[in-house]
Amino acid sequence: MTTPTRRPSRLRTALIATASASLLLLTACSPGGTAQDESSGEPVSGGTLTYASGDAEPSCLDPHVGGNYPQALIATQYLESLVSLDDDGEVIPWLATRWTQSDDGLTWEFSLRDDVSFTDGTPFDAEAVAANIAHVQDPATASSTGYLALQKIASTEVVDPHTVRLHLSAPDSALLESLSQVWVAMESPTALKRSQEENCASPVGTGPFIVDEWNRQDSVTLVRNDDYNSPPADATGSGLPYLDKIVWRFIPDSASRYAALQSGEVQVIDNAQPDTIASAESADSIEELNAPRPGASNRIELNSGKAPFDDERVREAFIRSVDVDAGIKSLFFGTAERSYSPLSSVEPLGLSLPDLFTVDTDAAAALLDDAGWSERDADGYRVKDGQRLTLEFPVSTNQSIPAEQSLFEQIQADAKKAGFEVNLRPLDLSSWYGALAENDYNLVSAPYTKVGPDVLRILYHSDSITPAPSGYFANLAQVSIPELDDLLTRASSTSDADERKALYEDAQRIILEGYYILPLYDQQNHFLYSSSVKGLRAMPTVSTPTFAEAWLAS
Amino acid sequence: MAGVLTLPVSPTRSRRDPASGHAWRWILLRVGGVAFVLWAAATVTFFAIRLIPGDPAEAILGGPGSQASEEALAEVRREYGLDRPLVVQYLAYLGKLITGDLGQSYSLHKPVITAIGEQFGATLVLAFSSLALAWALALVMAVWSVRGGRVAWAVGSALELVAAAVPHFWLATVLILFFSLTLGILPPVSVAGPTGLVLPALTMAVPLAGFLGQVMRESLLTAMESPFVMTARARGESESRIFWRHTLRHAAIPAVGLSGWAFGSLISGAVVVESVFARQGLGRSLLSAVQVRDVTLVTGIVLVVALAYTIVTLLTDLADRVIDPRRRTADE
Repeated sequence: MTTPTRRPSRLRTALIATASASLLLLTACSPGGTAQDESSGEPVSGGTLTYASGDAEPSCLDPHVGGNYPQALIATQYLESLVSLDDDGEVIPWLATRWTQSDDGLTWEFSLRDDVSFTDGTPFDAEAVAANIAHVQDPATASSTGYLALQKIASTEVVDPHTVRLHLSAPDSALLESLSQVWVAMESPTALKRSQEENCASPVGTGPFIVDEWNRQDSVTLVRNDDYNSPPADATGSGLPYLDKIVWRFIPDSASRYAALQSGEVQVIDNAQPDTIASAESADSIEELNAPRPGASNRIELNSGKAPFDDERVREAFIRSVDVDAGIKSLFFGTAERSYSPLSSVEPLGLSLPDLFTVDTDAAAALLDDAGWSERDADGYRVKDGQRLTLEFPVSTNQSIPAEQSLFEQIQADAKKAGFEVNLRPLDLSSWYGALAENDYNLVSAPYTKVGPDVLRILYHSDSITPAPSGYFANLAQVSIPELDDLLTRASSTSDADERKALYEDAQRIILEGYYILPLYDQQNHFLYSSSVKGLRAMPTVSTPTFAEAWLAS
Repeated sequence: MAGVLTLPVSPTRSRRDPASGHAWRWILLRVGGVAFVLWAAATVTFFAIRLIPGDPAEAILGGPGSQASEEALAEVRREYGLDRPLVVQYLAYLGKLITGDLGQSYSLHKPVITAIGEQFGATLVLAFSSLALAWALALVMAVWSVRGGRVAWAVGSALELVAAAVPHFWLATVLILFFSLTLGILPPVSVAGPTGLVLPALTMAVPLAGFLGQVMRESLLTAMESPFVMTARARGESESRIFWRHTLRHAAIPAVGLSGWAFGSLISGAVVVESVFARQGLGRSLLSAVQVRDVTLVTGIVLVVALAYTIVTLLTDLADRVIDPRRRTADE
């Protein structure tokens, strides 16, 4: 989430960008400016890096508790998981060195590294894994993301100090992907025994950095773990981190965050907005890291659970009427690529069907005529039986960046030409949840981050239409197709990689061809950083940057 | 506005009342007033935040993208007493409040009083530096525009009007552009030490100085035309002595009275300014607490701010008596 004061910041960023451009001109003219050493040379040890996050400050630094993206961002620096992913999305060893699955898929055995300790001295072993799984599954922990990831683990069995067995209630093809997420990373069992207040303030892991101090609403200070020896299998460096210290700040205002980067107060910022990224392109001293989040793409869901979108013709007519590409081009300054898939482009099993989304206003008009929405009222909106073709579109201002909200306005204008009345309703998070719980929406956009295609089961299995006790449900398109349910269930339990791929492909085809969703782009995740920062990369798991191998060039 | 805020001279000044009895009644009245303000603030906030739609238990468990399990929600409801009727929750809350227990913040996983303690100092430093800066700016402007002739007068009053109307976020941007990105002499976000305080304090001080300046100039003018100045002139005192000794003192009275109100407006300004400059403080806590529907934290902050506000008002009343001898003799 971020602040509701985002709107004015577009103008403010523009102002600041203009000023900095003139500043750059000045420095460019001054003689004796030292050119950046492009070769960047050998890594240098030492130094303090300041990171500025635009997300809300986490209320707890232990990502087992709750489990959102801001927690994942910072916890990546001090916690590590059993497995990781490489750039191709293949599962690779991390704290676990090997794993095997029983033939029925109900038992998984993990061999663990025997030379790793948590930073409080507690050894990492099978007992620690069992304690962590128990911690995530304990209702008192109030875990939501991690809890969901480990839902199928029925019990853990310590075979020997460095072997642990997980017994599942049902086969889970997504287990390794789930375990790679930082929301279920390994923490010291000794530290977990402390009160939640204490553990939230200083969780203890095996990672390259250690939580040293948390000065609320200002910064979290992380210091180097001098005994670090457990990088994931795809790490390139020798292992020991270069940076002495990371100061993790929270700067909610987009324009201030960029100004802080320009003035050198901070070296890395997240949540970089399209206009900021565009203006940073002209700055030699600023680089960009684009790391789309895994899981679902950002998409508009069409609520098929009620009229008018219970009629497939009306859904197709809407999708054929709106020119998303033009909006993305003009509003995102080339920083976002159009998606035609329910899955993020970083998911290897994503299926893209661009032909379904070509704009065809004539076809849309014919479909609407055919569906009975043939007349128009005085305002130009289509009507049927005296009812106007109206679509409610609640928008969470916490989850949609300003550029996305502008895109929705363009979609609204396109849809109006076709005869749809789209009521855009910007809402705060609680009210937005309220509108969804009351089924008071026809269009909605909700992000969902998770590693692997199993996110499709969460979003489109008919089970997810049943609201949780809180009223929230994930299947916002309200897709209810027995054939799709069956595909998703089988895909999540098969242990055959090819079969899994085929099943997920069929499932995505049904979702796309049924016009249940309008994919927009990947879940945007842009970072800007000073060119003095070297060795920065995003984890291929949940796309959080890691500073394990980062260093500061002088 | 100044009239409303000039307190609490009792209208009945009976000669039979000994001075101490009068003072006691004054204190009792004030304490009762403070208690009422605090109760009203707690009650209004408690119910107002519950008007926001949505389930607080869901909000506690992380909101977007995190589907909370039934067990986790039940646990949260039980732990925070959200499963009890609203009236019971309210009475339990008041009961704890009387014993000084502000409760547990569920978004921060710590006692509200601790959370506020960590942040209040930063906001007080910001508020008082802004207030002092605003006073200085207003005084300089008012004195200059009153004594500097017709042009100074016009320029002064125009500047005050503009300053009073400037929104904080806009002013913050302009200051960051000028001092951080163009001159490069001050950090655009808060840093440790006094340099980090300059821009946030200036952002809050300028609009406030606009208000205070207008009031000061008015009372300076009134004072300059008042009989005691004429008398002083007749005594042969020099013009500058008259101005600095008599007129200025007179002009300070309404501005001091306004400082209580100013403190309140500074706290609300802190919500914006602390976010823009990424500064620690209660304003930022309040914003994030509202966003995650942390009822106990919001109510706690509102109470502490209300308490601080009443204390500052009390102090300005006392200061008023020190500056204005008429008040003292009236009460004694």
